[in-house]
Amino acid sequence: MSYVELKNICKKYKGNDKNSVTDFNLEIEEKEFIAFVGPSGCGKSTTLRMIAGFEDITSGDLLIGGSRMNETAPADRGISMVFQNYALYPHMTVEKNISYGLKNMKVPSAEIQRKVDWAVEILGLEEYRYRKPKNLSGGQRQRVALGRAIVKNQKLFLMDEPLSNLDTKLRVSMRNEISKLHRSLGSTTIYVTHDQVEAMTMADRIVIMKDGVVQQVGKPMELYEHPINKFVAGFIGSPQMNFYDVKVDGEGIVFSDGKKMKLPDAVKGKLQGYDHVVMGIRGEDIKLDSSNMEVYAECRQKAVIDNTEIMGNENNLYFQFGGITSVARVSKYEVSQVGDEIDFVFMPHKMHFFDAKTELAITADV
Amino acid sequence: MVTRKQKRNNWILTIVLLIASLFFLFPVIWMLANSFKPDAAITADMNSLRAFVPPILNGSFLENYITVLTNTNFIRYMCNTLFYAAVLIVLGVVVNGLAGYALAKIKFPFRERWLMIIMLLMIVPMETIITIHFLIVAKLGLLNTVLGYILPMIVNPFNIFLFRQVFVSLPDDVYEAAQLDRCGPLKYFFTMVLPMSKSVVATVSVFTFLNVWNDYLWPSLVFTSGDLLSAQIGLNAITSNDNTTTGQTLAVITMVTIPVIIIYSFFSKQIVEGVISTGSKEG
Repeated sequence: MSYVELKNICKKYKGNDKNSVTDFNLEIEEKEFIAFVGPSGCGKSTTLRMIAGFEDITSGDLLIGGSRMNETAPADRGISMVFQNYALYPHMTVEKNISYGLKNMKVPSAEIQRKVDWAVEILGLEEYRYRKPKNLSGGQRQRVALGRAIVKNQKLFLMDEPLSNLDTKLRVSMRNEISKLHRSLGSTTIYVTHDQVEAMTMADRIVIMKDGVVQQVGKPMELYEHPINKFVAGFIGSPQMNFYDVKVDGEGIVFSDGKKMKLPDAVKGKLQGYDHVVMGIRGEDIKLDSSNMEVYAECRQKAVIDNTEIMGNENNLYFQFGGITSVARVSKYEVSQVGDEIDFVFMPHKMHFFDAKTELAITADV
Repeated sequence: MVTRKQKRNNWILTIVLLIASLFFLFPVIWMLANSFKPDAAITADMNSLRAFVPPILNGSFLENYITVLTNTNFIRYMCNTLFYAAVLIVLGVVVNGLAGYALAKIKFPFRERWLMIIMLLMIVPMETIITIHFLIVAKLGLLNTVLGYILPMIVNPFNIFLFRQVFVSLPDDVYEAAQLDRCGPLKYFFTMVLPMSKSVVATVSVFTFLNVWNDYLWPSLVFTSGDLLSAQIGLNAITSNDNTTTGQTLAVITMVTIPVIIIYSFFSKQIVEGVISTGSKEG
């Protein structure tokens, strides 16, 4: 049996015409790390807050450990939570922040001391133990918030964009620490983020949301390789997938700027019955090297680079093609300058096709 | 970099402000200096600058103070007032703080209208409602009792407004974190909200103290017995006695004034911070 179950969960705020969350269904296994991801206002934090008990559930059932929790007080749901703005108690020291919940739970003082020592040690907070939050950096504050969550031995961790206030470097190291912590504690974690990189790198499964509706649930690579619709395809991956409005003809596809591309029969077969589709291709599936150029000679195209992004380990090349600004992600050894004319191919078996009206993937298995 | 002209202007400004502050301090200095003198010396010095200089330290230096403290109940009146102030500070912070917290953080019907009513009450002068207070206290049979004095003084619309303005900017997620830490609403108020709002608590406490210490009208109506009189009423009783000399009168006034000056100088920073923070964020 799943540890957390969300059954047809809906949330509608008073005075709003539309639901903020609509028909949310999800089963989360014990010890699983689930990430809710989506753009601002998609309902991910609202869903998390409903699980925590800070928002009423308009309809549907929330089960934690097999028990219905809709009307249960937050403190009785067996959860710990890490907040976006840390939510530390500003007048208490690090040690008191961490031990406060345990004291209220009437845990014996020796046990409290042992747990605080353990948390302070694994989070590297020894030297800050007697400092107040205002004297800590963002990363240290976030560690205190984590410490406060882990000492209570709850089975379910909720994290609401815990790294969004940190700088990029710190975010990467904290990402790593949270993942390690999750593995060592063996807890179930629900992690809300708008950063798809965080979701991809940390989660066992990702829930992608848009306008309060779950778009797709799956393992990170499932979502990356087999997005169920254009939104998911565009949301996951950086740089974003290139989308082209194309017409389907007998030999392949015709781009909006009139350029044609022949497609292998296996790919063409997927487009039978369609006149007009959206074709998506990721930057790394646009190839400039000679070996791919030979293999996919039929798909060969030309363009002039109008911008480059040197990332160090790889380069992003921007060029006008098919009526949009396209981006190709190439290795750092494939150096091109602005103004260079390049030959490239789209790897046909890596193309994603979406219905132009519904935006649903025509096939997830091209 | 400060230019020569700016430096000159700063000097001029400092001198002007010093002169202005001396102008305001003259009565206090005069009072303090003459509280140590016998009446004959006060009259003799009246037309010279010596009126602002205390007498030479000798055996009769503190005579006015000793006479007042030994021959009257002034110490008792001071202690009474300190007690009233202490009780009203505690009750005022709790009652007005809870009201301010409710107006800031708890959703209930007509919340904004309640706030509007409380803000309107701030402009109603105490003198206009004091008769009603008096009649209620008299009907309750609480005249000349500590409770009768304290009850109408606890709720203060201005203090509720001050608390509300500070509490409205407290982050909600701290309350949510506290809920998960099994901290109930009342415990949250006392162990989190008040410590997180020290400056406004200090401001309200100081305002309450000054209010109680300087209050004359309400205690003069409520108290009839000498045992319960507050400092201001005691001051009036002592100074209106024909046997009290001018020097003794000034000694009593000095003793009543000094706590106010001390309190204000110690807490002026917190008062300013508290008042400023009330305007920091509108909810």
